[in-house]
Amino acid sequence: MSDRPAKSKYTLDRGIPGAFEGETVTRRRMMVLAANATGGIAIGAVALSAAGFAIGQPFVEVDTGWHDMGPLDEIPNDTYVPRVITLDPKTGQVGKSTVYLRQRNPVVDKEPGDQYNKVVAISSRCMHMGCPARYVQAAQHFVCPCHGGVYDFRGEVAAGPPVRPLDRFYTRITSTGRVEVGRRFSVNSELKRFSPRPPGQPLDGIGQYLYPSNPSQRKLPGT
Amino acid sequence: MAKIKLLPSPPAGLRPQPKRPEDPAVDDQPKDLVKEAGVSAAAWVDERTSLSGTVRWVMFRPIPKGTNWFYTLGTATMVAFINQVITGVVLAMYYDPSVTHAYESMKYINNEVFLGEFIHGMHRWGSTVMVILVFLHMARTFFFGAYKYPRELNWIVGVALLVLTLVMSVTGYLLPFDQRAYWASVVAMNIGGNAPLLGPFTPPAALGGPDVTTVTLSRFYAIHMMIIPGLIIGLISAHLYLVIKLGTSAPPWVRADKVGGDLKEHDA
Amino acid sequence: MNQREKEEYLREYSVLKAQGKPFFPYIIVKDGVMMIVVIGTIMLLSIVLGGELTAKADATTTTYAPRPEWYYFWAFELLRVIKPPALVSLATVGVPTIAMLLLFLLPFYDRNPERHPLRRPVATTAGIFVIGAMFFLSYLGAEAEPPSRVDMEPPPSVATAGGATLEKWEAGRKLVAQSSCGGCHKIGANGNDGPGPQLTQIGDRLKQGAIRETLINPTLPMPSFAKLGPEKLDDIAFFLSTLKSGSGGGH
Repeated sequence: MSDRPAKSKYTLDRGIPGAFEGETVTRRRMMVLAANATGGIAIGAVALSAAGFAIGQPFVEVDTGWHDMGPLDEIPNDTYVPRVITLDPKTGQVGKSTVYLRQRNPVVDKEPGDQYNKVVAISSRCMHMGCPARYVQAAQHFVCPCHGGVYDFRGEVAAGPPVRPLDRFYTRITSTGRVEVGRRFSVNSELKRFSPRPPGQPLDGIGQYLYPSNPSQRKLPGT
Repeated sequence: MAKIKLLPSPPAGLRPQPKRPEDPAVDDQPKDLVKEAGVSAAAWVDERTSLSGTVRWVMFRPIPKGTNWFYTLGTATMVAFINQVITGVVLAMYYDPSVTHAYESMKYINNEVFLGEFIHGMHRWGSTVMVILVFLHMARTFFFGAYKYPRELNWIVGVALLVLTLVMSVTGYLLPFDQRAYWASVVAMNIGGNAPLLGPFTPPAALGGPDVTTVTLSRFYAIHMMIIPGLIIGLISAHLYLVIKLGTSAPPWVRADKVGGDLKEHDA
Repeated sequence: MNQREKEEYLREYSVLKAQGKPFFPYIIVKDGVMMIVVIGTIMLLSIVLGGELTAKADATTTTYAPRPEWYYFWAFELLRVIKPPALVSLATVGVPTIAMLLLFLLPFYDRNPERHPLRRPVATTAGIFVIGAMFFLSYLGAEAEPPSRVDMEPPPSVATAGGATLEKWEAGRKLVAQSSCGGCHKIGANGNDGPGPQLTQIGDRLKQGAIRETLINPTLPMPSFAKLGPEKLDDIAFFLSTLKSGSGGGH
């Protein structure tokens, strides 16, 4: 284009028949733009609505509520008891999750205590790739059967590839002395609370910025 | 159109022939009548579509000499895919993609439906055979240097087909909704979730929620039944078009005879 | 490839084509035979292996050991061997992304006009290496049995003794599996190689009494198993002491 003499941007100056004063867009160019725009608007309207429908729902906030786990004195403080919580009653066995419960024990639990960790509730999902980890009482460790993840009594990584300690759940004690389990949260290697993340996402260092949390799942405010 | 000159003439059935009413023997034989009807039907379609040229272009294209059994791996892969399409469609007649009924419907297919476990097995093992054949076909193309000029684009289409095949195997794996299916999907999605920045958003979008939930199964079913098969069929068409347009490659060790010679010489 | 090489290839190829045969019916016969072989193989696999189902999906399980389909064993093994948490994303997204990019872009970085595999030593070696590595990783992945089981046959000395000895051995084997020793120790095909030492041939190094003592007073980070009680500790120590090289204790 550069070797041609510069054309005026006004159609009138280029001698196009029927041009208006101050007009810069030729009719042909206008039609090309209109053809592209009409097609783009029609397809885009359908495609964007469909895409929003398909992928928007996972980011709508859900609250799993509080689940009754029985009286506090049934829960020991030197070992875990497994309990099943129902996160989604419509989906049968896949809408549930196994939680390991024990009372907070100041001898082993060094993280600051508050109203939500009088009972320690640890998720059975391995934080490497989400396989079902199991608490082995004889070894006092959580062992994952997949890729060699092992966690110690507090759920911190003892061996293998997991990127962070086992996830936990908020717990609270009701006035009648019963234990309730709330939503899940993730912890970093100092057991500091973070909004829940999927397995495999580290939270130490820049991990929490590389793997932002899903807006549909948040930790409780102020914790 | 110099290429067309090398082609042998097509068989009589594909060539529109004028009727010969003056020959009384033709109309006497029912066999001839049927043949006549077939030829005129083909001619009627061809008059309106001009497809006979395409059919000749596809079927009577010359294949370079030296082509061996390694060159059937592409067809083999496609046959495995056709097997998946046919068995998959009939499995969908009994399968119920809901979290509460998927496993029961698979049990029903296995235990109650006539030929149920056989068709289920054909779909399940057909996927394994297809994955093996895709890799063998790709290895052949790689070691024979067949991805080089002028077939670069066909290699890229082929790699896209490999990716789609693996997506099929991941989405299809969840559908029986047994323990193996469920946990394999959990691990597969968490593998995807490990990508920095994108990771927190792609698995929920694929799963329809933060975990494998009610919507995940129907979502994977839609992806497995509609989206990916549609893409695979489209890309296989492009792949085949390019194969026919560019011609199948010859084994790299085969050299042309210096004596020249034409088709008839090899047409034993 | 430059323009001359492109034209050379096209000229050679058009002669090869002229010296070849038409697709129908000479070549399509081979494809037809292959189709029958493929469908026959699939049908045979279906008849022999069927479409078995495991138990219904259950998110609350703590005993199920997930394993991938065999053609993902290499990826599974990659996840097992890459231990530093900082490198996990290398196994999950790094290696597959790089592999896919290399595959997609192959025609663009391999511009060598040569096609014969023996005259492309780098490409051929790389191809064979990748296939070899995938086979090797797949083999390791297929061998990796879950740490929650111990798949072993009793050694001949125990098997011939039978009776109480065999029962004690079996009890020990089950206890080792239940106590998840495999979480930290490799025992035959089961368990993780580390952080604890391999136990597959522990009998060569430690006697039964020493093993029992280690279970009660281990060196950190191994936990004490004293809570199991003397009887169970005896069973475990006996079982482990029979694991010797050349005792046929493999699976």
